[in-house]
Amino acid sequence: MTPNPILGCGIGLRFQHIDQILADKPPIPWLEILSDNYLTPGSVQQDYAIEVAEYYPVTLHGVGMSLGATEPFNDEYFQRLKSLADQVRPAWISDHLCWTAAHGWVSHDLLPLPYTEETIKHVVQRIREAQDRLERRLVIENVSSYLQYQESYLSEWEFLSAVAEEADCKLLLDVNNIYVSAFNHDFDPCKYLDSIPIERVQQFHLAGYEDKGTHLLDTHGQPVSDPVWGLYKLALQRFGALPTLIEWDNNIPSLEELLAEAHKATEAHIHAFA
Amino acid sequence: MPLLELQHSLIAALFQRDQLAEAAKFVKAQGSLSSEQRVGIYRNSAHGILLDYLESLYPVCLELVGTEFFGRTAHSFIDQMPPTRPFLADYGADFAAYLSAHPALQEMLWIVEVAKLEWARHAAWHTVNQVASDFTQLETLSAEQQAELRFQLPASAQLLSAHSPIHSIWLAHQDEYPDKPQFDEIDLEEAQQVLIFREQRRLHQTTLSPDDWAFLNAVQNQATMADLAEQFADQLPWLFSVAMQENWIYSFTTTPDETKPTRNS
Ligand SMILES: [Fe+2]
Repeated sequence: MTPNPILGCGIGLRFQHIDQILADKPPIPWLEILSDNYLTPGSVQQDYAIEVAEYYPVTLHGVGMSLGATEPFNDEYFQRLKSLADQVRPAWISDHLCWTAAHGWVSHDLLPLPYTEETIKHVVQRIREAQDRLERRLVIENVSSYLQYQESYLSEWEFLSAVAEEADCKLLLDVNNIYVSAFNHDFDPCKYLDSIPIERVQQFHLAGYEDKGTHLLDTHGQPVSDPVWGLYKLALQRFGALPTLIEWDNNIPSLEELLAEAHKATEAHIHAFA
Repeated sequence: MPLLELQHSLIAALFQRDQLAEAAKFVKAQGSLSSEQRVGIYRNSAHGILLDYLESLYPVCLELVGTEFFGRTAHSFIDQMPPTRPFLADYGADFAAYLSAHPALQEMLWIVEVAKLEWARHAAWHTVNQVASDFTQLETLSAEQQAELRFQLPASAQLLSAHSPIHSIWLAHQDEYPDKPQFDEIDLEEAQQVLIFREQRRLHQTTLSPDDWAFLNAVQNQATMADLAEQFADQLPWLFSVAMQENWIYSFTTTPDETKPTRNS
């Protein structure tokens, strides 16, 4: 069966809202399911995700693939993810251009990679393997970062573009992450946007950050900030009115508030071309 | 491979504070933050994710010990037992055991028992519901088959035996129960046996009488109908009907249990 099309501005599915969504079936263009929270086969969580997917177009968004890691992929992770995908039929599956596990430990956090030619080769081969395992093209997201490695000599946008081209994958541009990293590493976010190959981008993320004084922290705990809305407008002008998703993971607001934030993104779609 | 070395060093710093300086050697110093402070942001972030998760798993323990004690204990737990699997829902099972070794809790081991109850609730949410048996089929079995019958509790069932009133303590910390017991009025010396199980999207948690407890334990240990008849004699019909009525028994099998060693082996 062909998945429903993903159009317009959606929201991330959060446990707090599931009962309300299933009871009221509010008009939501699409929902992003955080795959890692629904990977236990037969769990009540997975049961809910499957029901939501009966009524809404969905995508699966993960944090646990650890695409940039050096240890072998976790077979069980891929089996469970594939089985979840078979049941919710996502339009696409995304994860991050980062690593999460090493040395037998799993950080459950998104850790940045050194931006070198050698890393590109490594990650490209890993993304290809992941795409083969899942039998589909992946969508890869840029992470926000708080450090740069000594050995990095490429810019993040050069690294991301090269990986996407060579692995033949799609990109999820997190506009907030670009802004956060640009502030933290003192680069021009517009230059970043202008360097990404247009045809590779499939989706945008928007979220709120927290200003820690010395750095911006990607907390997903508040509304999207004004400068990020500004950068988003530029992204729309360059890449087109692509599907956009509001991420909110801490201090989760009511469903109505979250949908209002998604509505702001829809309005930006209209005004970006006015 | 340098990437391997870099990742080993970084992840070690996330779970061992004394490795921060070592990991910082891979990192540029920029602006007002040193490279060590930059690695520290990741250590805080990884710990923060796991702390939030443990708080969501153990909300009653969190209220009982307070945010500060819980945070300190959780951070040292995370450092000593970092996650080893990419499934976050599997993490934190050892937290009760970790609490039980804490010197400050030696006179309050009932808190550890509440932690075990909270983990059991989490585990029940994450267990598959097996298909329920059609109990009308029991009548069609021969007497021999009936003697060999074995019953199953819901796959999600967790039988907990505690030296303290874990169910009452847990209830006292639930906002949504209007008739909840007052914590100050609970006798912390009272032992309680508790059953937790999931039925579709509902979690049940109930105290059991000693008889029901013994019966459900026997059932869970795969006693046959003949074993149960011997152990519970004329109480059996009553115990059985309560268990059926409460949906504590979910399915049955007539084939011998392969996992149980036979008496002669
Ligand atoms: Fe994102």
